[in-house]
Amino acid sequence: MNVLKVREDFPILKNGLNGKPIIYFDNACMTLRPRQVIEKMNEYYYNYPACAGRSHHKLSKMATEEFSKSRSIIRKFINAKSDKEIIFTKNTTEGINLVAKSFKFHKGDVIISTDKEHNSNLIPWQLVARQQGLRRERISTKEGFDLQHFEHVLKHAKSNSNRSFVSMVQTSNMDGTSIPLKEIVNIARKYDAVVMLDAAQGVPHKSVDVKKLDVDFLAFSGHKMLGPSGTGVLYGREELLNRLDPFITGGSTVDDTTYDGATFTQLPERYEAGLQDYAGFIGLGAAVEYLKKYIDDIHVHELKLNKIITEGLNTHVNILGPQDPKLRSGIFSFNAKNKMDHHEVALLLDSYANIMIRSGRHCVHSWFNDNKIDGSARASFYLYNTEEEAKIFVEKTKEILKMK
Amino acid sequence: MICIIALIVFGILGIFSVKYRIIAKEAFNCVFKKITLRKCDTGLDIRLKSQISGSFLKFSPRLGRIAYKYFEVFSWIFLILTLVTLYFMGLGLYNYAVYGNCNGPQGGFCIYDPLGTTKPVNTTTEGSICAIPGHSIGAVLTAPKNITITDGAYIGNPQAGVVIIEYGCYSCHYTKLAEPTVKRLIKKYGDNILYIYKDFPLRGTHETAEPATEAAHCALDQGRYWEYREYLFANQQRQFDEDLKGYAKDLGLNDTQFSECLNSGKYKSLVEQTYSEGIALGITVTPTFFINNQSLVGAKDYSEFKKIINKELGISWWEFWK
Repeated sequence: MNVLKVREDFPILKNGLNGKPIIYFDNACMTLRPRQVIEKMNEYYYNYPACAGRSHHKLSKMATEEFSKSRSIIRKFINAKSDKEIIFTKNTTEGINLVAKSFKFHKGDVIISTDKEHNSNLIPWQLVARQQGLRRERISTKEGFDLQHFEHVLKHAKSNSNRSFVSMVQTSNMDGTSIPLKEIVNIARKYDAVVMLDAAQGVPHKSVDVKKLDVDFLAFSGHKMLGPSGTGVLYGREELLNRLDPFITGGSTVDDTTYDGATFTQLPERYEAGLQDYAGFIGLGAAVEYLKKYIDDIHVHELKLNKIITEGLNTHVNILGPQDPKLRSGIFSFNAKNKMDHHEVALLLDSYANIMIRSGRHCVHSWFNDNKIDGSARASFYLYNTEEEAKIFVEKTKEILKMK
Repeated sequence: MICIIALIVFGILGIFSVKYRIIAKEAFNCVFKKITLRKCDTGLDIRLKSQISGSFLKFSPRLGRIAYKYFEVFSWIFLILTLVTLYFMGLGLYNYAVYGNCNGPQGGFCIYDPLGTTKPVNTTTEGSICAIPGHSIGAVLTAPKNITITDGAYIGNPQAGVVIIEYGCYSCHYTKLAEPTVKRLIKKYGDNILYIYKDFPLRGTHETAEPATEAAHCALDQGRYWEYREYLFANQQRQFDEDLKGYAKDLGLNDTQFSECLNSGKYKSLVEQTYSEGIALGITVTPTFFINNQSLVGAKDYSEFKKIINKELGISWWEFWK
């Protein structure tokens, strides 16, 4: 992967901010967009700004073709069996909510998650569990994922004739650690559990094959993988998707209605109510097309950057998660050893050096509360970040930390 | 501390722009929480501290470090400066409302009135007068009673509720300086006032004071008093007989008649009489004004006249601004 060539495709990296170069290390929140994605979205608005799949005129036909093409591109990208298994959503959050609200649970069923879930994979389950009388179990990742406890929970549920639903974060947006997915799925299958992955930090950084992973549901966001904001995808096994209750209903979700009832349509439209963000999803297709050229190199590249930064700053900061950068993918979450506030670190990097990182609790408030930590500063990398940028980050962070 | 400064600064800027209103709201929230002994959780204080010290860091690491480390100290200093500035701003506005000048009675450049449109006379009582040698202000003045209009040096409505009498000297620099104020009052109040000019030539101070006063009466004889008066004030350095006659000629007056009037000393006794009346009232300096029973000595600001006249006319405070 030629990073310098990649950077040429990103207008903001080429032009900078007010003519000054930026270092964008907030990719776990949102990535930048290449020219190709922006142009593809403009193409929709310029050339065929019409409803897809509804009207029969030429413009509508063009929009339908591009919209469907985009779904196929995404399906191929994660190696799903059929386009019917690709549901367009607003983001990962909506995908998880769709499953949480529509899955047919029975009282006593068990929801299993980790202790590092993003609010998007925590709150929906808290509500559903309360409303439907489900039990929730949390697997600790403090000393690595506790597979033993995980199996024990599944076994216990099965022995009580309760079904288990595993919904876990593939890679934590907080510290970059990943769960041992293969083992988790193997154990889950042993006890007939359903497995859903919050892959918001997974799909954008590594090649994901849903058939190989053998997961039942997988949700991810477009804006974390070079795509437009407000776009996301829920993958679901066709047979499971067919068994879900309708989620948001309305236009496009039905074949027919009477004053007293409705006949719901086929997948995937059944779960895509109302007029869709056609430009956005067509843009997401373009983002995936772009990304697939580099997807096999991104993870290695991010590890390289993480190594430079870890080695440069490990004596100055406390790193959240394991010390070994190989275990933290493209995320470097930290707090200054001299107790400089994490917000201050982030704001100073921004005002002093045009380095953009995030600070706070990264929507994982539950973990921070449990560990009595206020928050952290977080640098997260992507394919267009360079080793030079990583070195500058180290140097500037050291300078800032010296201020206290 | 920075939140209080932010509240003041962005509160003012917020009047003009929505984007600052949002910051002002945050600052208010922060200040309110601190007052109620809670932690400011808007993050505004940290944001401002980081942005400011980060900007300094760009120039020099040392400067950045100082700004960061002593941020609270600097915040206190700036807060005090802001409060002091606000105090003086308020004082300036008060002075502007009361005296027509933000510096108060002492005058000087005023930012609220850079062109000096409400401040035609930029002087105070002290040093804004011409006096009889050996005298200064301090004499007890008695307002003239039973005012009768004996000559034409008046303007306005003889039945008006407010009578302004000016004891002036055509050769006195400060009488001249008060002239724009007089004109402005006449223009503003019209028939609501009666303005009368009384002779008080300071003969011991200005050698041409008496002939100039008599010449004004001679111009009045020909119905051209106000124009001639303007000429006199405009040419205070040259008021000898020949000059006085020349001005009459310039104005197109009958110069023979004017010369005869001046040469004959036709108005000598009248001028003397008016002067004596002034002395009897306690006047020793020019210009001295009486607005009904109240006296104003010296070339004072327009606003001071306005304040007294409005009060005498019973004009309410909101009309005061007009």
